Amino acid sequence: MAHEIELMTAGNMWKVLVKPGDAVKAGDTLFIMEVMKMEVPHEAPADGTVSAVNISEGEEGLDAGFVAVVID
Amino acid sequence: MLEVIKSGLETSIQDWPGRQGYLKCGFPWSGPMDHWSFRLANVLVGNAPGTAGLECQFIGPSLRFTADAVFALTGADMQAKLDGVPVPTWESVAAKAGQVLEMTFPKVGARAYFAIAGGIENEVFFGSRATFNKGGLGGMGGHSIKVGQTLPVGTGGNGVAGRRVKPEARPVFVTDKRWNVEVCAGPNDDWIDEAGQQRFLTTDWKLSSKSDRGGFRLEGPEWTFTDKAHNKLPEHGSDPANIVDHGYPLGAINLAGQTPIILVNDWPDGGGFINPYTVPGCAFWKLGQSKPGEIYHFQQISVTEAQAAARRITALCTESSIETL
Amino acid sequence: MIYDAPRFRPGGDRFLEIEFGDELNLELNFRAQGLGQAITREKVKGVGEIAPFFSSALVHYDPDLIGYEDLCRELKRLIESVASSNDVELESRLIYMPAMYLDPWSDEAIDQYIEKINPNKERDPDFVARINGLEDAAQLVRVHSGTEYWVAALGFWPGTPFMMPLDPRCRLFAPKYNPPRTYTKTGTIGMGGGATAIYPVDGPGGYQIFARTPVPIWDMQQKLAPFKEAPYLLRPTDRMKFIHVNREEFDAIERQCAEGSYQMNVVGYQKISLQSYRAWVATLDMNARF
Repeated sequence: MAHEIELMTAGNMWKVLVKPGDAVKAGDTLFIMEVMKMEVPHEAPADGTVSAVNISEGEEGLDAGFVAVVID
Repeated sequence: MLEVIKSGLETSIQDWPGRQGYLKCGFPWSGPMDHWSFRLANVLVGNAPGTAGLECQFIGPSLRFTADAVFALTGADMQAKLDGVPVPTWESVAAKAGQVLEMTFPKVGARAYFAIAGGIENEVFFGSRATFNKGGLGGMGGHSIKVGQTLPVGTGGNGVAGRRVKPEARPVFVTDKRWNVEVCAGPNDDWIDEAGQQRFLTTDWKLSSKSDRGGFRLEGPEWTFTDKAHNKLPEHGSDPANIVDHGYPLGAINLAGQTPIILVNDWPDGGGFINPYTVPGCAFWKLGQSKPGEIYHFQQISVTEAQAAARRITALCTESSIETL
Repeated sequence: MIYDAPRFRPGGDRFLEIEFGDELNLELNFRAQGLGQAITREKVKGVGEIAPFFSSALVHYDPDLIGYEDLCRELKRLIESVASSNDVELESRLIYMPAMYLDPWSDEAIDQYIEKINPNKERDPDFVARINGLEDAAQLVRVHSGTEYWVAALGFWPGTPFMMPLDPRCRLFAPKYNPPRTYTKTGTIGMGGGATAIYPVDGPGGYQIFARTPVPIWDMQQKLAPFKEAPYLLRPTDRMKFIHVNREEFDAIERQCAEGSYQMNVVGYQKISLQSYRAWVATLDMNARF
């Protein structure tokens, strides 16, 4: 079952920690956004393999709700 | 009372106009950034417009009502649900003891305002319940709300559900990521040369994500200065934007070297950089509802026009803007 | 330069800035303080609050009670009617503040900055000594600590003082860090432009730093006696004198402050007369340095 990890907030993409093909465990940090000088980490909801990464480090002005990473 | 189940990104108790009277002690006023939406939330639930409520930023909190209550959400729509049922914004709503209000993120706008009949009654600090989170003043123990806390609610409330703000009385947020922001010249506009002034007023300035309630950092072209910025006594400092430390008005566009920073509600009220322009109070709702990456285009207006615009907003934050469903 | 007449500039819809001059001069701050006191005394209609700074004042007003032009006229009248600053005397507490000069914490902050941000930064004490024509960091210490500092304003952060040297022979100038440091320890003493300040909490900063005090200037727990009424120690018109302490004394005082047992030395019976101050300054050899 695929998990779509959506951005929890508007903001910038500070760090992207995974690429397609990576194996991840539930709780692993996939990427960290920055808004209001605060870090907003996004974690994998379940074990799986990253099948898509639709964001890149340094990207600015992202919208909340955007599907950033897909885990199969 | 309200139990904090999730705190959101940075949710804080604010009142309006905030903690005034202590600028000479270095205390910012704090208070809600979009004071238009904030005041209307209070009017909806029968509170005086400046009564303490919550400012929710980017990611909203989850709260449990421990007693029956009447509340309202205004500002950005954070897709709130009460026990799983969607809650409308700009309307007063009844909640029963034990119900949970959950919010996520807004699709349009950035900040939501939560008012509850009776008001939030956290400890008053130097005359106000407003929070300066970074400085540790007011709010809950000096800071924004945390999971597990209980927010006290006043019992003198006069809330009635089923009231709505007339659509024409609400601020309308942009959906194309471009804001036209009013600005007044001064105090230090005479430090910027003619070309620099034109450049400021014609540039599309981008809002940096390194922006928070202390200041909104803008990205754009370089500023150029008049002679008085280059030829001055050494005590001002060596950068053309340096000045002998002076007071910073709320809303000042503070030029830190070459970086303009709009000073918003938790602002440093003095320092050694010039303030060539100031954003007036009537435009603060735009600042409060904008997101990183969005564009500001500044439009110069006179002090008198800015004062009239503020009066128009205050006139809208009254019973005359309310209709019954 | 002291302006013949104060200059008024608007700051948006509800602020105005009054500039009395454009230099670091006690006389200008006396005018700013004097205006603040006069406004409070006369309860000028429409004025919300006033925050004096070195040579200027920031005024908040309610545009529903008074318009910008009317307010300027009213303040101008008030400034003129306040006794010409020849006769002005201000009450002024004197606070003895222990300070360890050339302290290890400033050293560490500078080390970090050189390592992470700018490897070319000349170390602050040497830099400030050199650009002010002093022999070395030791002379910087003598000169900086040789004067009382006038608290002209609080601002930027709660309880944070903007201070200027009262003895003109101890004037120093220091450009700010560009880009600023990301970290400075609480109690650090530093200089930017012609002003000296103390960092009230840990945080970023741009002043050149070379000393540290173990005594808090901000305490929400209000443990020590001078904090009885408010969490901040200082007020505009206070004077501060830095008293040298070594590391042992620093640590002991820091412990006592944490326990709430430290006896702060605050002298509360003095007044500063601008006339006497001017007369004394006129006797000094401005080129002499300690």
